[in-house]
This record gives sequence, structure tokens and C-alpha cells, in this order.
Amino acid sequence: MRNIWDTVISNRVLFLSLLFVILFVFFSFTIPGFFNLYNLSNMTQYGVELGLLALAEALVILSGGGGIDLSVGSMMSLVSILMGVLIGRAGWSPVFAVPLGILAGMGMGLFNGILVSLGRILPLIVTLAGLYMYRSLALIIAVDPQFGPNPMPVSTFPESFYFVGQYRVGGIPFQVLFIFLPVLLIFHFLLSRTTWGRQLYGVGSNETAAVFSGINLKKVRLTVYTLSGILSALAAWVITSRIASARPDVGTGYELQAITIAVLGGISIQGGEGTVGGVLLAVAIITMINNGLQLAGIHQIWQLGALGAVLVGSVLLNQFLIQRRKI
Amino acid sequence: MNTWVRIVRRREFTVFILIVILSIIFAVSTDRFLSISNISNLLSQLAGVAIAAIGMTMVIITGGIDVSVGSTLGLACVVSGSLLMIQAPFLLVLLATLGTGLAVGLLNGVIVAYGRVPPIITTLGMMNMVRALVFQALGGRWISGIPPEVRTIGLGKWLQIPLAMWVAGALIVVFSYFLSYRPLGRSVYAVGNNPEAARVSGVNLKTTLLFVYGLTGALAGFAGLINVGRTGIVQTNNGMGFELDVIAAVVLGGTSILGGRGTIVGSLLGALLVAIIKNGMILLNIPALTEGVIIGALIIISVLIDLVRGRGVR
Repeated sequence: MRNIWDTVISNRVLFLSLLFVILFVFFSFTIPGFFNLYNLSNMTQYGVELGLLALAEALVILSGGGGIDLSVGSMMSLVSILMGVLIGRAGWSPVFAVPLGILAGMGMGLFNGILVSLGRILPLIVTLAGLYMYRSLALIIAVDPQFGPNPMPVSTFPESFYFVGQYRVGGIPFQVLFIFLPVLLIFHFLLSRTTWGRQLYGVGSNETAAVFSGINLKKVRLTVYTLSGILSALAAWVITSRIASARPDVGTGYELQAITIAVLGGISIQGGEGTVGGVLLAVAIITMINNGLQLAGIHQIWQLGALGAVLVGSVLLNQFLIQRRKI
Repeated sequence: MNTWVRIVRRREFTVFILIVILSIIFAVSTDRFLSISNISNLLSQLAGVAIAAIGMTMVIITGGIDVSVGSTLGLACVVSGSLLMIQAPFLLVLLATLGTGLAVGLLNGVIVAYGRVPPIITTLGMMNMVRALVFQALGGRWISGIPPEVRTIGLGKWLQIPLAMWVAGALIVVFSYFLSYRPLGRSVYAVGNNPEAARVSGVNLKTTLLFVYGLTGALAGFAGLINVGRTGIVQTNNGMGFELDVIAAVVLGGTSILGGRGTIVGSLLGALLVAIIKNGMILLNIPALTEGVIIGALIIISVLIDLVRGRGVR
């Protein structure tokens, strides 16, 4: 019995699965309106943006060398308002504006990546600077000279823009089926089945060994920061379409939630350890907690509080287990 | 000669020169920059960041980070605001505020030192939990209308300089001395440079960590008291984003994010640089929106300057 318990808590994916099931059963019995098909399928859409950002964070943290991306929220804000301005104010078709927005996200990620890998500046510093710069640029873009000097959100979109965030296919939200799941599958495949994935884990767990075995450290790191930018831009597209509004501050605070979820999902903050599956489970758990608390009428600030407690608690438990294993 | 080269090569010197250049530019292009009221206004906004940066510098020197200072400041605002509203004696307000910050900081310290949870994780979680607490305490309302006569710590001046800045200055002098000459201060650097070597040579790792996180919490609390004194209002979002301002000041001031190197005076200069930029932009009517671009670019440029000179950030 003790052995089974040990396996469950020392295997993150198993532990999270168990936690998920327990919470699911608990909410189903205690919160009215939780366990029905509509709520369950509806709930999934709220996890998409956070899930994409958490995945971005996971990739960056995996790459090691103090890898972290504090700028994901700001990149999301900038891409969101960029798409909004192009479509809503300049009258562009989403067919051109969305790819340009994704390209902008890629550009910002690439800029971070160049400074980290070629400039050899620490990720925390680069992305802190990125957080400031991209957020500020988002506010500047949002200014509509017609209405004075203050940044304004954009809410005038053509009907065709809403399919990503508001349509359903077979009862399941479009963005879950056609954006989130494919992205997850692609990254699961990349990380577990390709040379690039093995290189990423290698770079993250032992930089020196990776370099000596011929892995191009700079290229790997450059790629993950660029991917982080692209994923943030995807998240921006989804959220802008879902809430039908482009806001220059939409991503504020998301970076910390994304980091929390990545770490909760078993991505070691030292790099080189963790899986896409773990991150998916963490996103599912957090989305479910948010939904449950909301249905129970508890203010959303407590969702953040609970998130903090779960994060510290899960890592504490982990460290405790490592200590015990050593003895 | 050698000493001069050493001084010129320091980050503090780069930042100092930037401050001088910017001050000259602002002084020439606006007529209000050097006015006493403007400088005093600038300093009263600087004081909070400068005080919290003392603790943050030490935390970062040990190789850690504390992103919970903004929430701690928020909680301290609630405590001090509520006590000031009922006109409690100042000593009680001060002790309660410092105590609140100290409690949060020590909790961080215990989790980092005894639980061995990475600082970024610990303080990230703490940030969210304390913010929830702030919200719960205020229940979505504001505390406003705190009478000016009990707000001396934020409004008071001596020799035209805000009282809060005098306190900040005194704290900077005391803790700079402490960090350079006292055993516990030296152990802060030792822990950041090489924790294993520090432990073997008799430095108490856990005590040192408890001390730096506790101090940071208490100082963030004090910054909250100053904030309430200055504005007279307590809101749920008090201190949101404050942690980034403090970290930016410390990083600009030359403290290595990898630990083991940095000075409190450097962080003060970093904070001053940011404050001068913000202030000058307002005077020049440059939209405040561009502020982030400038601060972000400055952080990167100052680190790149170090790299070009071959000093490296590592």
C-alpha cells in the first residue's frame, strides 16, 4: 500500500491525474450545474489561452539556463491590439491581419531569443525588458488619434472573425478542437519523438554535456523563444475572437499564471524535465477549479489565491519526496 | 589610477553618468525640472521603490528573487490604512505594518530555506495568495479620506526633502554598511557566490535566507505605509506591478541576477534613473505610454554595455 502511494505522488502525471479525478468527483457532487454536458464542454474554451501560454512557458523553462519568459502576457496584448487595429480601424481582412499578428509574435519571440542565445543575457532580464517594451508598444498602438491621447480597445470586428473563439463543432468549442489539441499533439510529438525534442531535453538538463555532444545550444534556445512568441500570438488570436474585443492590457498577469501552470504540470524550473501531458493536466485542473469556484459564486481573485497555494504546495510536496528518497 | 579604472568600470558609474546626462537634458529643455517642488515630488515617489530595493538587492545577491513585494505592499496598505482611519498611535501603525510585511517575508523565507522550493515559485505563489487576502480584506471597496494630519510619513518634509526620502537614505546607509562590514551581511554574498562553500565555511544558510526574505517583506510593508501616507487611499490593486519596478531598479543598478554581486547604492541609482525618466517625460509632455519601451530598452542596453566591456553578466 505504501509503495502504491509512493509511486502515485512521485510520478507527476499520475499524481495530477488522481488530483483531477478527485476534484472532478468532488465538484460534481457539491456544485450544482457543474456536471452537465454543456458546462463541461463550455468550460474547455476558457483553458485554451492559458494552455497555449503555459505550453510556451514550458518550452522555454525546459531549455534550461535559467530559462523563463516573463513577456508572454505582453506579447499576447500587443498581438491582440495589433489585430484589432488592423481589422477594426484599418479595415483589413482577418485573412491578412491574423497571419501578420502571428508574424509579429514570432518577431518578438525571435528578438528575445537573439538576446538570450546570441547576446548571452539572462532570460529573466531579457524577458523582463520585453514585458515592459511590448506592453508599452501595445498601449501606443491602441491610441486612436480621433478620440484623444488615451489607448482605446477595439470591438468592431466582422462576423467572420468570431469563428475561432465562439463557434462550436459537434458541441465542442472550435478553438479547443482545431487549435489547442493539434498544437498539443504537435508538441507532444516534437518533444518525445524527434531529435529536436531530445536536444531540448539535453540542453536543459546538462548544458555542457549537450554542447560536447554536438548540439547547437544557441539554435535550440533561439527556437524555443521564437516558439513562445508564436504561441502567445495564437493565444492572442483566440482570446480576441472569444471576448470580441481587442484590449491592449488583455495579457496583464498572464505570464505568472502561465509559469504557475507549467511548474505545476511538472516542468522543473531548473530545466530539462517535464512533459506536455503534465502541462495539459495542470491546465485542465486549473480550468476546472476556476469553473467550479465561479459556479459556487466565489470571487475570481480566490482562483488566483488557490492557484498560488496549489503551486507552492505541489512543489513543497515534491521537494519533501526528493528529500525522503535520499535518506 | 587603478582605483579610478575600477570605479569607471562599475555599473553604478554607467548609471550615474546616465542620470547626469538625462538631468542636464531635462534641466535645459524644461524650466520646471530643477524646481524644488518637482524634485521633492520626484523624491517622494522614489522613496518606496528605493526602500523595497534594499531588501530585493540582498535577495537577488543570494541568488533568489521576490516577486511578492507588490502584494505585500498591498496588504501593508490595508493594515496601515485601516489603523490610520481609526487614528491609532503612529508607533502602533508602524509596528503593525512592519509586522505584516515581516510575516509574509518570513513565510517566504521558511518555504525557500526549509522547504527548498525555488524562490521564483515560492514568491509567485505568495504573490497570488496575499493578493487574494488583500481583496478579501477590502471586499472590493476602497479606504479613502484618511485625514492628512496622520499622514506625516508620506506628506511630511524636512529641509524641503520628503521625510520618506530621509528615512530611505538612512536605511540605505545602514544596510550598505551592514552588507559590507557585518558577518551576516558578508554571508549574504557568500551564499550567492557559492552556497556549498559558504556552508562548509560555517555560514548558516537558513538563517541568512530567513533574514533576507524577512527583511524584504518588512521593507515592502514600510513602502506600503509611505504609499498610504502619500495618497491617502487604499485600493485592491495597490502595489500591482510594484515588484517589476523594484526588480528593474536592482537589475539596472548592476546586481547580478545569478547572485553574489551587487550593491544597495547601485539599486538606488537604478531606481533614481527610472524615476527621472518618468518625471522628465511628464514634463516634456511625452506620452507616458512610451515609458515601458524606454525602461525596457535601458535594461537591455545597460547589460549590453557591460558585455561589450567584457565584464559579462555571468
